[in-house]
Amino acid sequence: MDEIQLCAVSKTYNPGLFKKKVNAVKDLSLEIASGEVFGLIGPNGAGKSTTIRMLLGLIRPDSGSILFRGKALTEQDIRSEIGYLPENPYLYDHLNLRELLRFCGRSSQLSVEQIVHRSQELLAKLDLLEAQKRPLRTFSKGMLQRAGICFALLHDPSIVIFDEPMSGLDPIGRKMVFDLVMELKQQGKTIFFCSHILSDVERLCDRICLISKGRLIKQFHRDDFLQSMSQAVFLEVTDIPEQHREKPLAMGVQIRQEGQGCLLAVPGENYFSVSAYLQEVGIEILGCRAEWVSLEDLFMQHVKEQEQ
Amino acid sequence: MRAVFALAVITFKEGIRNRSLFGIVLLALFLFGLNIMVAGFFMRDVGKVTVDMNLSALSFAGLLLVFFVGVNLMAKDIDRKTIHLVLSKPISRAQYIWGKYLGIQFFLVVSLSLLFVFSCMTVVLLLSLYPNYFGGFSWVQFVVACFFVLVKFSVLTAIVVFFSAITTSSLITLIFSFASYIAGVTIEEVVFYLKSEFASQEQMISEGLRHFIAVVSYLLPNFSVFDYTLEAAHGLTIESSRMLLSVGYGVVYSCILLSLASVIFARREFN
Repeated sequence: MDEIQLCAVSKTYNPGLFKKKVNAVKDLSLEIASGEVFGLIGPNGAGKSTTIRMLLGLIRPDSGSILFRGKALTEQDIRSEIGYLPENPYLYDHLNLRELLRFCGRSSQLSVEQIVHRSQELLAKLDLLEAQKRPLRTFSKGMLQRAGICFALLHDPSIVIFDEPMSGLDPIGRKMVFDLVMELKQQGKTIFFCSHILSDVERLCDRICLISKGRLIKQFHRDDFLQSMSQAVFLEVTDIPEQHREKPLAMGVQIRQEGQGCLLAVPGENYFSVSAYLQEVGIEILGCRAEWVSLEDLFMQHVKEQEQ
Repeated sequence: MRAVFALAVITFKEGIRNRSLFGIVLLALFLFGLNIMVAGFFMRDVGKVTVDMNLSALSFAGLLLVFFVGVNLMAKDIDRKTIHLVLSKPISRAQYIWGKYLGIQFFLVVSLSLLFVFSCMTVVLLLSLYPNYFGGFSWVQFVVACFFVLVKFSVLTAIVVFFSAITTSSLITLIFSFASYIAGVTIEEVVFYLKSEFASQEQMISEGLRHFIAVVSYLLPNFSVFDYTLEAAHGLTIESSRMLLSVGYGVVYSCILLSLASVIFARREFN
């Protein structure tokens, strides 16, 4: 069963008198299954944050409906089921992290024991135990981001909405968050993930939606990147003239033009013969890749198509 | 109720740890000190001047507390989008409004109580220095007048919360709240003047303007009902019915404003 469904949702902003209305989201339909890690990507102003705010009830859609476990969002309050981390969490400057988490727990109707237990568990996981008594205004950007994650997860929500969770994190922090997301996934949580760091989205998400100008452009499944050519070796080479393409194609090689050069998907068993042929005709091998097509390639391709 | 209290606690802590509070307390202490220094110049009126200056210092400090700290405690939440995080928890919009109001209220009570203690110390000192010139002074009237300073700022806090709920920036909240305060302090005098014989002889005041001011006077807060300075300074008896009326007016006015703010806030969208 789908955990969240957006059915032809539209939202228009009115920036003020004598200004043109902005279509932030237009006829957007999405389904997020239970236990799925769902990635929403798109250029700036694509409508990602607007979609999240509609899910949280901070703004109301002009048309369409949002369903949670089959029931309309307007008929129920699902916030006890949701943990939300905004893009830049602005927390209370004069509070310390322990007080902030206590507030979070009390507003989520947790008992004092539950609050203490969950707080210590999360603080240890995100390496914030030593900083828990420091005022939040003394925190670095990365620490604030991790504090925001603790705030989002304290009440053990079944749906986690992360808007740019890796923003401002150092490699250690990113690894911590990555492991945490994987752990949440193993626990069967539904994760809604927004990020501009496409490599993270690609690694973490089961399904990815690309939106641009408020419209759904394309949905990808994790397997779309792994492709059926998982046994192939991907080679980046200089440009292959038309007359030299026939033989590699006959050996089962797939050729894709990429800028000034080409990308080849070479079946593993033919690697040495293809490599020898390329040397023979003077085509240089520039490097190899782990995948035939990256999310970044698809992102750029679809966004450009949309702009045209 | 638990969520309201949790929100009130963090609002109170945010306010009480704000550095502006130290500046405001220092300013109030300076005014109390000034009172001690200049009291000797007034001789026969020392008691009256002491009460006047102490109540004015409390009022001024309260005004600064509400405008410099109170406004930030709610409007900054909206400016900085902290409210997105807060409202992602199971807290209703009405609970948010009442929680914030209670938090600012706790903060005001604690801050003004501290200043009240300093004020009492000033009065005790001057009373011991000039015991013969405090003839009409009564502690009861003084405490009642101080209490109504707190009630006045409780109503002003409700106004700040109301404007924070309907406007998009803390600056607009500050301007509207300040304008309401100025109008609220003076409206009673304006109404009295319009009802006086002088006003009826005045050609410039049209009937339309009279009606407009009559309507506005019911909408604006009448802060002069909380002013007991005269009674405290001269040691005049304060009737309990008047006090009850003043408290009732403050409570009803604040409740109406906060309920309105809750309704408007519930419909508001946070982009």
